[in-house]
Amino acid sequence: MTVMRNTRDVVGQPTPLIDGVEKVMGAAKYTADLPVADALVGRILRSPVSHARIVGIDTAAARALPGVRAVITGADCAATYGVLPIAMNEYPLARDVVRYRGEPLAAVAAVDAETAAAALKLIRCEFDILPAYYTADAARAPDAVALHANKPGNIERAVHHRFGDVEAGFAQADLVREHVYACAEVAHAQMERNAALVEYDPARDHLTIWSTTQVPYYVHLMLARCLEMDASRIRVVKPFVGGGFGARVETLNFEIIAALLARAAGGKVSLRLSREETFLTHRGRPETEIRLKLGMTRAGRLTACAAEVVQRGGAYAGYGIITILYAGALLQGLYDIPAIAYDGVRVYANLPPCGAMRGHGSVDMRFAFEALLDRMAREIGLDPFAVRRANLLSAPTETQNGLRIESYGLGECLDWVEQASLWRERRGRLGTGRGLGMACSHYVSGAAKPIHWTGEPHAVVHLRLDFDGGVTLLTGAADIGQGSSTVMAQAAAEVLGIRLDRVRVVTADSMLTPKDNGSYSSRVTFMVGNATIDAARALLAHLVAAAAARLGVSETAIQHENETFFVAGGDGPGLSFADVAQAALAREGGAITAKGSFTCPVEFQGGKHKGGAVGATMGFSYAAQVVEVAVDHETGMVAVEKVWVAQDCGFAINPLAVEGQIQGAVWMGMGQAIGEETRYEQGLAVHASFLDYRVPTIIESPPIALHIVESIDPNGPFGAKEASEGALAGFLPALTNAIADALGLEIDTLPVTPDRILEALAHRQRARRLAKALEEAV
Amino acid sequence: MQRDRPSPRTHIRAFRLNGRAREILVADSELLLDTLREALGLTGTKQGCDGGECGACTVLIDGRPRLACLTRTEECAGHDVETIEGLAENGRMSRLQRAFHERLGTQCGYCTPGMIIAAEGLLRRDPAPDETAIRAALAGNLCRCTGYVKIIEAVQEAARGAP
Amino acid sequence: MEIMPRFDVLRPTSVAAAIDDSRRCQASRFVAGGTDLMVNLRHGLGTPETLIDLRHIPELREISAGESGIAIGAAVTLADLAANPEIRQRYPAIVAAACAVGAPAHREAGTIGGNLCLDTRCLFYNRSAWWREANDFCLKHQGETCHVAPTGKRCHAAFSGDLAPALLIHDAEIEIAGAAGPRRVPLADLYAEDGAAHLRLARGEFLVRIHLPADPWPAAYAKARTRGAIDFPLAGVAVALRAEAGKVTGLRVALTGTNARPFLLTGIEALENACIDAAWLDRLAKLVQKQVSPMRTTLLAAQYRRRVASALAQRLARALGGMVTENSTAA
Repeated sequence: MTVMRNTRDVVGQPTPLIDGVEKVMGAAKYTADLPVADALVGRILRSPVSHARIVGIDTAAARALPGVRAVITGADCAATYGVLPIAMNEYPLARDVVRYRGEPLAAVAAVDAETAAAALKLIRCEFDILPAYYTADAARAPDAVALHANKPGNIERAVHHRFGDVEAGFAQADLVREHVYACAEVAHAQMERNAALVEYDPARDHLTIWSTTQVPYYVHLMLARCLEMDASRIRVVKPFVGGGFGARVETLNFEIIAALLARAAGGKVSLRLSREETFLTHRGRPETEIRLKLGMTRAGRLTACAAEVVQRGGAYAGYGIITILYAGALLQGLYDIPAIAYDGVRVYANLPPCGAMRGHGSVDMRFAFEALLDRMAREIGLDPFAVRRANLLSAPTETQNGLRIESYGLGECLDWVEQASLWRERRGRLGTGRGLGMACSHYVSGAAKPIHWTGEPHAVVHLRLDFDGGVTLLTGAADIGQGSSTVMAQAAAEVLGIRLDRVRVVTADSMLTPKDNGSYSSRVTFMVGNATIDAARALLAHLVAAAAARLGVSETAIQHENETFFVAGGDGPGLSFADVAQAALAREGGAITAKGSFTCPVEFQGGKHKGGAVGATMGFSYAAQVVEVAVDHETGMVAVEKVWVAQDCGFAINPLAVEGQIQGAVWMGMGQAIGEETRYEQGLAVHASFLDYRVPTIIESPPIALHIVESIDPNGPFGAKEASEGALAGFLPALTNAIADALGLEIDTLPVTPDRILEALAHRQRARRLAKALEEAV
Repeated sequence: MQRDRPSPRTHIRAFRLNGRAREILVADSELLLDTLREALGLTGTKQGCDGGECGACTVLIDGRPRLACLTRTEECAGHDVETIEGLAENGRMSRLQRAFHERLGTQCGYCTPGMIIAAEGLLRRDPAPDETAIRAALAGNLCRCTGYVKIIEAVQEAARGAP
Repeated sequence: MEIMPRFDVLRPTSVAAAIDDSRRCQASRFVAGGTDLMVNLRHGLGTPETLIDLRHIPELREISAGESGIAIGAAVTLADLAANPEIRQRYPAIVAAACAVGAPAHREAGTIGGNLCLDTRCLFYNRSAWWREANDFCLKHQGETCHVAPTGKRCHAAFSGDLAPALLIHDAEIEIAGAAGPRRVPLADLYAEDGAAHLRLARGEFLVRIHLPADPWPAAYAKARTRGAIDFPLAGVAVALRAEAGKVTGLRVALTGTNARPFLLTGIEALENACIDAAWLDRLAKLVQKQVSPMRTTLLAAQYRRRVASALAQRLARALGGMVTENSTAA
């Protein structure tokens, strides 16, 4: 058996995406691009009210409209769904109670969109209105009506964690400060609107769905549950997907509704949501309030941390329990903090449900932490870099909440951004209204403990070799634009010593590909990458055995590279890959399928405390960044002039894609920091368009200089860790720290829209006048 | 259609689409985006928003960028319409398509056709645009993946490779 | 939520034919670029049976420069307007305003006439049919209450065209065609301070031409918006300023985005024949703040729009004053 080679022919090389040509040619088929000539059109009737008991829904007139083929309501599906087995409390169509404006009440399938729309207008709903709550405070008020009967006080989950001696930690500190930070709710705003195409075959009772999902397997599970169908009768296919960022990491109501409609109509249904409906489906990052207290020595060493967090989670559970646990768990793993107290509470409210969004759970807390850290460093008179360096971890180590850290490149990240931004030379010398700020962040490379604990591996990959000499890689992993298919192809080609274009990747079709949990928590490169290496090694063993037999030497004597198998130290020409493949097929009795898998060892699956699995991972990515801003004190406009970011991703299997992921993450953090926010008027979304939800344009998007740090994680595939999420959170505090540098203004509320800047300046002006008046009076 | 609604007027409209003469029967109110995607099967032109806010449906009409979601097909009569499908030459990527592919100006790919078309319109007017001109030309095309950094690099790369 | 209602399109090729088409088709609307109307129609804001496309009338597409000034056809696109050499040379504020509209593809379709006749906008109006129905509609369309000011009796939707202020400061006049015959009025007379009826056009009337004087004062336009493109103005300010020997001898300030109509600041004469200093700028800011009346029609706070409108007015006046001062020094 050969060992892993030291040279890296394929991995580590900047590689255009293997499915990129289709995208630039306009040939890539996304769900809404699939042929629908014979499909019915589905449409959803959405609740006009925030909270009500449903007295009745009369669909008789809609059913009677010519051209209508199916009308369904909550009566047609009695099963709940949800991503967490312990918190499935949502119906695809509301039953008995409706809990937010925009929640699906009924749906129709008709011969065309106009008929479907006309049918919706004929449906009569009668409600018994209940009190509605749009803030966490209102929902938690003592006399508030519970949205869910089993959750009194509208508390979805309260978390109370204590690690180390917090009291002692604060007592040892030279400086203790406490501040309150607030982050608006934000949304993924992926460019592709939600859509599903479902074909139901009544003769065979088979159902096929094509959907805009990051998690085909979870969609499969929930369709089987809600339609009460045997999973073997369902096929889930993920076509090209136009971005996810967490919006699609759980089964969504429209997917189940489309399936219910197709079955009811006995045919094919295309359900395409508008941009407004896509926003209403939501699952974004919750509105969050954080009261944070830190203790610090004069040298900048942290002594203790106490955080209280309130997340307004919307009307249903979704990932909420995970989000509130992440916010506490990921206080750790970045710096060495001797003692931590965390009190988090996830609250139900009559708004679209929140969920997982890029940097899940970590982002708003990281904003608060890095902002307060800077503030205290200023007070003590320490440089922001120095205060971070005073608290670095050293790998390998284990945090107090049981997170294992095997590689840690944060120090190098700090060094690079400090030098590249000319921090020491330029800071404080940029002129009025301009400033530099910095911050750090981290993120998991896949949750070490899967949501559904079935005893199966975390990832499985099949590699198939047949007569044509092509290697077909079959994976359930969902490439949603991040380039995971390319990474898998590179990993397989590297191990097999073959050209990248000999590998073709088949993804995310439950009829063909092995199950994969999906594209979330940055798990794919780490877990599916390791499974791919495992599968490639298994296939290689077949090839080496065949080559050894053909060359008449022992397997240990065989080496391979550049699609050639040869005897080590021998002078023969060796055998071509095609020859060896043919020999192997003859030996094995035809086409070979090699399986590889990956499982996170139990010792990586987190602490023993309740909720201790959340945050646990096999490898953390680390990032540091510097942001330069120019603030216009007359208009309040904040211009992000430039960003320097360095990220430790372990090893960059595809440096081109890693760069793209880091730039995208930083930029998405910028969107949240400077302008994006959801807004509701009495529960009605007023942000649900690309005019009102202000995704940054190219005009205000800065150059982003970056550097990849490779700490070579001992467990990562070729040493790789995640690259897509870790740099996001750092942008937010780096920006507000830069504004503090520019104007001396402490910004505690995001986003930093120009009205908030002018208000903060006006507030400071008033405070100064008042202080002066008092002084004069004295 | 089975409802009592005045039957809409339809006309045969003649225009050039990706260099080919087309004559199609369309209702006056039909949007170019729907004609392209639903009637003609040219799904490269994408729909990202509920009207005029994202640029994913950018096409060229007489060489100038227009939003297919705000344009009625009848407006195109007598004009030259180009979509992403028309840029390739003999199935090979155009210089912009190649640059977007090789420089990773595309991630999820959903904004990509509109982005490339907008860039194509720019390079025809201004073969050597500076970064400010590139940003100005792509200002209406939202991308949620790239942060635009590699998009700008891709357009610069294509401009350098211009004939 | 986004079905385009069916309608027919007429394509008259003369002003007379357009008037005639409008008279024959009572449930008709005029359209040019359609960048605003197409979105609104998909939202169920209006169900015209017929659209009359004015872009096939040759005289509406012409820009002609003469000794008495420049005449711009109402169907000239914003892109063509901004690219016109005469306009670029003489009316930088108009070029800036045209280039501030939407994004390039909007400007290739959108016209100057369309921008001047732009429907007013509001948080509670530019919404899907489902949204507006869930909110009991609003005073501007199908409803009884203005959600911005529920106790009031009028609609507060804000005018959001960029071009109007840049034309108002040059005392532009507009030529209107209609069944009752042509008329020519100051642009300012086109507008009324009512978000539900902000255009003083009789049924069947449409803009034919915009006339600008030959010797405009130096002018500039600035727009406040959260993003660098796509957005409508939170506030837009145009300033024309003439100075001699360091003194302001002529001043015009016009605003958009803050009221139901674009308007010229009044009482501005008090700032003429004075030097631009801190006190002068302060008086200008106060005038602006007093006359704008932004309401809660956008997601950003109304108070911000008031503040930024005066800040932009000051900034433009400073720049124009400085520029003129330098020129006069050089002379």
